[in-house]
Amino acid sequence: MATEYDLRMGDGKRVFHSKNQIMDDLEAGSADAADLGEISALSSNELEKIAEIIMTKSRMVGVEPGKEVPVTHDIGTLRIDGDQGNSGVGIPSSRMIGCMMHERAFGADTMELGHIDYSFKPVKPVIAQECQAMEVCQQNMIIPLLYGAMPNMGLYYTPDGPFENPGDLMKAFKIAEAQESIEKSADHLTRDMIWIIQHMMKSSSDGVNFDTTGAAGDGDMFATLHAVEALRKEFPEMYIEVGMAGECVLGMHGGLEYDGKTLAGLWPHQQAPLVTKAGANVFGPVVNTNTSMSFSWNLARAVTFIKAAVEASDVPCHVDMGMGVGGIPMLETPPIDAVSRASKAMVEVAGVDGI
Amino acid sequence: MGMPISHIMTSGMSGIRAAGDLVARMQFAKNMRIDEAKKYVADKLGVTPLDLSDEFAMREIREDLGIGVITSVTGAPKGIAAKMNIEKALDIKINSCEKFRNQV
Amino acid sequence: MSKEELIKELSDAIISCKKDNVLAAVEKAKDAGMEPAEIIEKGLAAGMNEVGVLFERGKLFLPHVMMAADAMAQGVKLLETDLGAGATEKKKAVIVNGTVEGDVHDIGKSIVSTMLQSAGFEVHDIGRDMPTKSFIDKIKEVNADVVGLSALMTTTMQGQKEVIEALKEEGLRDKVKVMIGGAPATQAWADKIGADIYAENASEAVKQVKEILSV
Repeated sequence: MATEYDLRMGDGKRVFHSKNQIMDDLEAGSADAADLGEISALSSNELEKIAEIIMTKSRMVGVEPGKEVPVTHDIGTLRIDGDQGNSGVGIPSSRMIGCMMHERAFGADTMELGHIDYSFKPVKPVIAQECQAMEVCQQNMIIPLLYGAMPNMGLYYTPDGPFENPGDLMKAFKIAEAQESIEKSADHLTRDMIWIIQHMMKSSSDGVNFDTTGAAGDGDMFATLHAVEALRKEFPEMYIEVGMAGECVLGMHGGLEYDGKTLAGLWPHQQAPLVTKAGANVFGPVVNTNTSMSFSWNLARAVTFIKAAVEASDVPCHVDMGMGVGGIPMLETPPIDAVSRASKAMVEVAGVDGI
Repeated sequence: MGMPISHIMTSGMSGIRAAGDLVARMQFAKNMRIDEAKKYVADKLGVTPLDLSDEFAMREIREDLGIGVITSVTGAPKGIAAKMNIEKALDIKINSCEKFRNQV
Repeated sequence: MSKEELIKELSDAIISCKKDNVLAAVEKAKDAGMEPAEIIEKGLAAGMNEVGVLFERGKLFLPHVMMAADAMAQGVKLLETDLGAGATEKKKAVIVNGTVEGDVHDIGKSIVSTMLQSAGFEVHDIGRDMPTKSFIDKIKEVNADVVGLSALMTTTMQGQKEVIEALKEEGLRDKVKVMIGGAPATQAWADKIGADIYAENASEAVKQVKEILSV
C-alpha cells in the first residue's frame, strides 16, 4: 500500500492521501484555475514543489532563509478585543493594545487600525474617535499603521441605506433601475470613503487598506477604484492597499468600466493592472477555497491564480490568506499545518511580495 | 490568532524583531517589489538582504540607529522618535512624523 | 436544418440574452415541427443552464441572467397555445429563500434567488435578518417545497439549525427540503444539522434543487 500523507479538506477535516492522489488533485486544481482565468497552469516542477511542501513530515514548514516577506495584517486590532464569535478572542483591551501586541509580541510587519463594524459607512458618525485612536497609536508605534475598512456597498441599499436594493429590482426584471441604484450607491460610497480617509490622513495615518473590495460586486470595486484615484491625487505619498473580496468580480451591474475595462468578471491577474492604474501601492488578490475539495486541489488552484496576478502586477502583491481563501481551509480556527504550508507555497511558488 | 501568527512564523520578516517594517515601508512608499525593497533597505543599512530577517544581525543595527527595538531599552527612541530615525535611515517621509513636526 | 441544429439555435439564443433571437428561434423550431415540450426542455432550459454556468465563470453577469430568463419566459409564452391543456398550469416548485436572523448579508442570497427564479422556480425571497418564525409562516403561506437558508457568519449559522428544528416542531420537515449556503457553510455542517442540500455557489444550488425535486 502506498504511503499516505495527512492533509486537509477545504473545510479543515483531516484526510489521508497517497502521493498519486495529491499529484492528481494538484494538477486538477491548477487546471481549473487555468481554465477559468485563461492563464497558464503550473509546470510539473512547480506542482512537484507544492507536493513536497504538503508531504513534509512536520507540523509546520517555513520559507527558505532569505525568502521571507512582509506580513500585512488587516483587522488585527480587533482580533484581541473583538468578541464576535468568529474573528476575535474577546480579551478586554484597547485597540492600541491590539496594535502594539501585534508589533511587539507577534512580530507583524505592518498593522491596521479598524472600527468594530469594519465597514466604512459606520465610521462617518464616529470619525473623531477614529482620528483620536489613530493619533494615539501613531505616537506609540513604529511599524506602518494603515486605517482599514470594507467598502461594503450593501450598506447603501435598502433597508440599510438610501438606495433601492438592486437585488429586489433585478428579481422584478427592473434591470435599468437596478443598475441606476448601483451607480448612485457607488457614487455615495466613493464620497464617504474619500471623506473618511482625508480625516485619517490628517490624523497621521500611514494610509488606507480597502479590505474585501468588490464584496457587493462590480459597483463596489468601481467605487473603490475611484476613491483610490482621488486619494492618490490628493495624497501622493500615502500608502494604499486594495484587497479583494473574492477571486472573480461579481457582475451585479455588468456595465461598469474603469480605464475602459469592464469590471465584472475580472480575475486576479486582470484586477491587478486596474488597481495599480488607480494608484494603489499594494494589491491583495484573493482566491476562494472550495470546502468540498482537498487542500491539494485548493492550494494548487490558488497558487496558479496568484502567480498570474503577481506576474501581471506592477505593484507588490500581498496575497489574502485568511479563513477560506488562498488555499486555507474554511474554518474559524484554520489548522496550523495547512496555514503554514499554504503560506510557504505562496511565497516560494507564486512569488508573492507579502501576505 | 493562530492564523496570523502561523503566517508570521512561516513566512514573515518578524517586524521590528528584524527589519520587516522597513521592507514593508519601501513597498508601500515606493511601490517596490520584494527583492527591490530588500535590496534598498539592505543597501541603506549596509547589510545583506539575508540579514533583514535575522534577529541577531538587526538587533544591534536597530539599537545603533535608534529605529526601535522590541524590548524596553531605557532611553532608546520609541514611537514617533524611532520613526523619525527611520525617515533618515531610509530617506523617506512618514506622515505621522510630518504631522508631529508641524505641531511643535 | 436538423433537430440538433434547431436545439442548438434555441440554446444559443438564450445564451445571447436577446428576446428577439429567442422568439425567432422558437418560431423556427415550431415551423420545423418540433414538439413544444422539446423546444422548452432541450433548447431553452438547456440554454438557461449554460447561462448559469457562464455566470459562475464570470462571462455573463446578473443583468444578462435576468434578460435571458425574461427571453425564455416570452419564448414559452409563444408555445402556450400549442402545449396541451393543463401543461402550462403545471405547478412550479415553490422555494422560500432568506438569510437567517442576526445576519444582514443579502447579496449572495439574492443571487441564489435570482438564479432559481431564472431556472423557472417560484421563488419567495423574504429578505435578510429573518426570524425563524418568518420562514415558517412563509413556508405555510405559499406551501413551499424547498426552503433556502443563507448565513455569511459562523455566528449566525446556528439560525439554519433553528429553522430546521422549527420545521420539525411544526410537522413540516418531511414536506420541505432544506437547502443551506453562505461562506462558512459546508457539507459537514449540512450533514450535522440535517439539511438536504448544500451548494458551493448559485448555479450549483439550482442544479441540486432540480436533482432533489426531480424536475
